[in-house]
Amino acid sequence: MQQPQAAVSGAAPPQDPPDSGGATTEAPPKQVALAMDRLARAARLIADIRLGADHLLEALFLAADGPHHSNKTIQIILKEEASMRQHFQDLRALGRQLEDSGVLNGSLKSRGNSWGLHMPLVCPDGAVVAYAWKRQLAGQAGASAVDRTRLALKAFTDQKRRFFPLLEDEPFGHSHDGEFGVAKKQKTSHGLPTSHREELNEVKTLSDILTDLENKVPNMKIFTYQRLDWLKRASLLSSSANENSIDPSKEQSMHNPNKLRSGSVNAVAVDKVAVIELLVPSVFRAVVSLHSAGSVNPDAAAFFSPDEGGNYVHSRGLSVHHVFRHVTEHADKALQYFLSVDANTSLSLLLRWIYSYQTLFTKVCSKCGHLLLMDKSLALLLPPVHRPYRQTCTTNFNQSHSTPSAKVQNVDLNSAYHIGCSDEV
Amino acid sequence: MPVKWLMHWQPHQGATLNSQILTEACQCVESQLGGAKDGRWKTALTFYRPMLRDASTPGDLPRDFLGIALHDHPGSYFFLLRAHRLILQADSSIQSLMEKLQSYKARVVLNFEGFQYRLGDFQVRVGKCGPSLSEALRGIMMEVEYLPLSSIEKSRQILEDFFDIWQDIVNRRHWPGHFILIETKFCRLWPSRPLYSSTYSGTICQVAWPN
Repeated sequence: MQQPQAAVSGAAPPQDPPDSGGATTEAPPKQVALAMDRLARAARLIADIRLGADHLLEALFLAADGPHHSNKTIQIILKEEASMRQHFQDLRALGRQLEDSGVLNGSLKSRGNSWGLHMPLVCPDGAVVAYAWKRQLAGQAGASAVDRTRLALKAFTDQKRRFFPLLEDEPFGHSHDGEFGVAKKQKTSHGLPTSHREELNEVKTLSDILTDLENKVPNMKIFTYQRLDWLKRASLLSSSANENSIDPSKEQSMHNPNKLRSGSVNAVAVDKVAVIELLVPSVFRAVVSLHSAGSVNPDAAAFFSPDEGGNYVHSRGLSVHHVFRHVTEHADKALQYFLSVDANTSLSLLLRWIYSYQTLFTKVCSKCGHLLLMDKSLALLLPPVHRPYRQTCTTNFNQSHSTPSAKVQNVDLNSAYHIGCSDEV
Repeated sequence: MPVKWLMHWQPHQGATLNSQILTEACQCVESQLGGAKDGRWKTALTFYRPMLRDASTPGDLPRDFLGIALHDHPGSYFFLLRAHRLILQADSSIQSLMEKLQSYKARVVLNFEGFQYRLGDFQVRVGKCGPSLSEALRGIMMEVEYLPLSSIEKSRQILEDFFDIWQDIVNRRHWPGHFILIETKFCRLWPSRPLYSSTYSGTICQVAWPN
């Protein structure tokens, strides 16, 4: 009990400069680490205080037993009182430090140069979110601490994979000594084939995936492009959008005949495919980019109106229309989810999920039964833009190390929800 | 081009048309639907009648046709020959040409004007209709456009829902009348823009001559 005290008082001077002047010169990751450290210490102090209160109660019981214990009791009480006072003082000092560093009120955004990191946030129910990634925190007030940290870890993993690809030892599809739960899952799942996963176990090539898909999506046209070719096409789209005719047969003839059609994929050119365009005529155009050309790793996806064109029409662009913007936002989350569950099947799952949006303007919400609904928080009239992407079997994460991910294909593609009607974050 | 639907105001039996409805409709769009005022719009409709110089007129000349200057196509002018189901698109300078030719004279000019609002992906125009030379109010109309889509079939449900939502709002207000949706039979052969102008002409006929 004396030890944490000593640790606090001993460690305090060198690590925590008395004023915030020292803290702002530290790099943001250090600030985050310090804040986490302080929070841990605060938790320990609070535990110590609780213990101290217990001891006091114990001493009182002892005194009640009989008067011959009185001396002992008095000593115990005095000792406890001194240590409790110390604990409270330490806690107060720590609290002030935390407040200064912006932890308790989440106000670090105003400090520039935070590298996109945010101070750990202490939520009103006492849970601590280590990495306050914006997406995870939005609408998470009711989620449990476990869900929050799981999602934060997943987002961190995915972002790391996206922006620091060199940190990965080997490309996806091979087992490797990754430190994350996802990588471990891949390892175990490769070693334990089940009947569910036999057709998914082999790593499919891009042309396989596209050919498979084409057979299942009668209304959707699939085109593949090299990266630069897509930019040319996007600019072509904008010039055609200004013309009068919306005759669909004319639009098809505009497609460069050299573009790959999935039905007749040229083996050589597949290596260079970096962009997949999915067009449901008159409903939407989705652009999916692959992380390295020819691979099966989806990188980003975005939705646009079929009439939109221009340089901003690419997998990381945003449509000018609200409805497609919200679908794109939802697609981001779906993509992260598919990648985290099983990177091998993420592309085919994503493409199939995108196909479910062909009913974007016709399918009513599965919860409220309406097509168009005024979203109160956004003040926009929107159709149901959310399509669920989670799989029906949710035991994946709870038993991530011991069980292979089961039933990866059972995504419910038949329901749709408005933003406000959806249960998901 | 995004699909547009038109509605016009039908006052109840015995109620008179007044511009109070217009201001209230604008208010509704702003407050209930969260629309942001985007500007003004104006469309002019002209009825042309032939100038007959001599008694022997050839029989196949059209007896009248309409000319429309649409608000969102400022450089073009459209002629509608309803009897022949023809639509002609021309440059807007054809109006001065018609005046010089003196073959057909503009008899009546109706102006449609009002405010336009932006509600997310919807664009709504509320306006009044009246002859250009007087301040008389002939009708009130409303136009809704869903910007992300340009297919008539795909946007039908969305616009129907919008119309339902709008009707709900109007019905709660107990105005002396209601908005009626202009039903149009779309001919598949016509490209969309001239369709819109012919829809307009249909509206005009219902609005200007309610009997």
